[in-house]
Amino acid sequence: MATSSSGARDNSFKIVLLGEGAVGKTSLVLRYVENKFNDKHITTLQASFLNKKLNIHGKRVNLAIWDTAGQERFHALGPIYYRDSNGAILVYDITDEDSFQKVKSWVKELRKMLGSDIALCIAGNKIDLEKDRHVPAEEAESYAKSVGAKHFHTSAKLDKGIEELFLDLSKRMLEKAGEVEQKANGTNRSTSARRNVVIVDDEPEQKSRGCCS
Amino acid sequence: MAALTSRSKKSIRFEESDLLCKNGCGFYGNPSWQGFCSKCWRDVYQNAKQAQVRADEQKHKRRLLPGVDAPSFGKFEEKKKQQTDKRKNTVRSIFRKSSPDTQQEVPPDRTIVRRASIETQHAGAEFAAFLRTLKKTTALDASKQVRGFVERVQNMADAPIDDLSELVIAFYQAMSERVKTHALYRDMSHETADRLLDFVERYVMTRLYRTVFCPPTSDDEDRDLAIQDRIRSLHWINTFLLDIALNETEDSMRKLVDQAITAVIEMDSKRAPQDKLLCITRCSKHIFEALRMSKDAPASADEFLPALIYIVLKANPPLLQSNILYITRFANPTRLMTGEAGYYFTNLCCAVAFIEKLTADSLSMTLEEYEGYMSGAIVPHDPSRQYNCEDLAIMQENVTTLADLHDRQQRLMAEAMQLQQDMSNFSLDMSKEINAVLQRTPLVIRPSKVKVDLDAETTDADLLPPPLQPIIMSSVSSTPAVQIKEIVSVNFATEPSNKVSQELVTEPANQQETAKDGGALVESETSRIASEAGLANGSDVIVGSPTDNVPDVVELLGENIPDIVPADENVSEMAVAESANKNVINNELDTETVGVVDVVNDNITNVESTNKTITGGAV
Repeated sequence: MATSSSGARDNSFKIVLLGEGAVGKTSLVLRYVENKFNDKHITTLQASFLNKKLNIHGKRVNLAIWDTAGQERFHALGPIYYRDSNGAILVYDITDEDSFQKVKSWVKELRKMLGSDIALCIAGNKIDLEKDRHVPAEEAESYAKSVGAKHFHTSAKLDKGIEELFLDLSKRMLEKAGEVEQKANGTNRSTSARRNVVIVDDEPEQKSRGCCS
Repeated sequence: MAALTSRSKKSIRFEESDLLCKNGCGFYGNPSWQGFCSKCWRDVYQNAKQAQVRADEQKHKRRLLPGVDAPSFGKFEEKKKQQTDKRKNTVRSIFRKSSPDTQQEVPPDRTIVRRASIETQHAGAEFAAFLRTLKKTTALDASKQVRGFVERVQNMADAPIDDLSELVIAFYQAMSERVKTHALYRDMSHETADRLLDFVERYVMTRLYRTVFCPPTSDDEDRDLAIQDRIRSLHWINTFLLDIALNETEDSMRKLVDQAITAVIEMDSKRAPQDKLLCITRCSKHIFEALRMSKDAPASADEFLPALIYIVLKANPPLLQSNILYITRFANPTRLMTGEAGYYFTNLCCAVAFIEKLTADSLSMTLEEYEGYMSGAIVPHDPSRQYNCEDLAIMQENVTTLADLHDRQQRLMAEAMQLQQDMSNFSLDMSKEINAVLQRTPLVIRPSKVKVDLDAETTDADLLPPPLQPIIMSSVSSTPAVQIKEIVSVNFATEPSNKVSQELVTEPANQQETAKDGGALVESETSRIASEAGLANGSDVIVGSPTDNVPDVVELLGENIPDIVPADENVSEMAVAESANKNVINNELDTETVGVVDVVNDNITNVESTNKTITGGAV
């Protein structure tokens, strides 16, 4: 694995997968990275951290896709996961209204914590179960528009919409990275971002300490 | 015995003065009080202690920083203070004589070098070996940069840890920039550059480890202790409460879990951030392997995070918070942001945060349950907890097997006892039945059939009652006859009696022939007796006397008539029949007697003759 700190050489992006349990986050990313679904021959031991290398308009892009635990009991840990991430994919199950509500709450939280620095994608997964749809497509799409996110209809089973989803997200992250570099002097900017890492980290830790003591 | 005597001899050698208090107060002293008696020791010791405390306080006041919060003098605070004091004192004491005011210029790496650990030496040797592969000028520059930086940081060891962290991160950044842009590094490949930066990080952090890991200026140690206690108090959490598909009863699974635990504990023993991260990665891989065993698909974060939490709870890694904070502060940020190790590290942070904030809700249980578990009032049911080690598991298995065997043996015993009981019951029942049968059917050795010669004079005949002599009644005949007639018409107007009477009347000759047949014979016999009685004793005697005689007659008849002798199975039937017969006979006797008497009145003469024939036939 490249541990280089020379960020200009290739664009490394961190993408978090957020969504309720059992909406198909893992299947989605496995389909994208391994192009397999429910397959015994999946080479990776785990599906929680995956790398994908892309080439977009001659630019090398390295995606680090972070899966998150979707259970409600781990919801509070979200900030630790999505800290410093460049993009987020919010997955919901089109047959499950609750999972869509969960996506809404995630979006609110992400916008509050990270502002517009993060590129958002909303994925309505399991469109192979269209007949059981409980989340109206129009509603989901208009909601995505209202929060500045892109909506995709995906199916990990049928391999639909996934490639487009990741490609679009990567492009938008590239754009954002370009903007940042244009706005400010590259080195200074990255140094301050790095300093941020340390400071941001301390906040939740201290909060937690106060909670348990 | 020899040992005892020698010991007692030895004790005699003690002079009494040796045992007395050194202070000479007359009491006995004690070696653990340095030869003083308890009273003198307290005086001496407390004086010294108070003097020490006073001195410390003064020292402390002189140097007390405004930012230091010291309201409580816990054990930890003292220790922290001592650490700081020690460092300052040594540094100071070394240079006080020569130049007390030039602390900042002092090259403190002399002290560092003096206590260079094996790790430092090792990291230094590695770094040096790597530098030798580079061009001499490049290596020299890199070495100069690194050494210069290490010295600079060690100079300001008492600065707030976050400042140090920023310094180190900035150094990584500067180094990276230098490698990228400086002329000395121009012809270096990317791989070598990466390796160089990696070595720089490793060497710098190994050198600085003592200074920046769990520094006395931070409250890291407090947090270590807090999380350690927290994990201890949560010892009751098991795989079921966290919904983890880890079946620890399996050998291979347990091995993986143990490896994961070992890896996360090992983290504390490493110095360089990347080595610590490597331990976390190893731990995570073992967890994934374990999860893979229970599910045939790659594990997602949904399964991984709870498993990691469980591993952390089971491992209770030493100085966990210090290690996490150290990594966040001093690891190369790119490593943490996008790398796989960074992902696992983030998960570890999540696990720790979860453990810290854990409530009844997050385990989906009621507050009472949670409190109960925390206070130890309830112990959650967890079969896997019994299998903490292999021997225990085997023991458990053996115990179960033994219990099973015991059960089966008991069942066997019970069944054997039952069988024995059944057998004895069977023999008892059998003998009872046999006795019953024997009683019901006594073994009677019957005389062999002898053809009865009706005409022959037998001795049996003597047993018979003497033949009744018909008495012709003249005076009393009318009244009782009428009475009897009335009774008959009301109660006993039965067919057979009439028939019998008729038969008696009409076919006297036939009677003799049918007499050979049992039933008919009885009938005829009774009628005979009845008529005889009636004729002999008059109506008053009729009911009583002939019935007395009947059984005898029947018996006699029974013995003589072989057909009546029953087969074994019919014994009871026969008994019933016998008694029925008796009843019938009794009834019939009454009826017939009456009937007969009735008829007799009409056909006295006829009866007389018939009677004679019957009696003769019966005999």
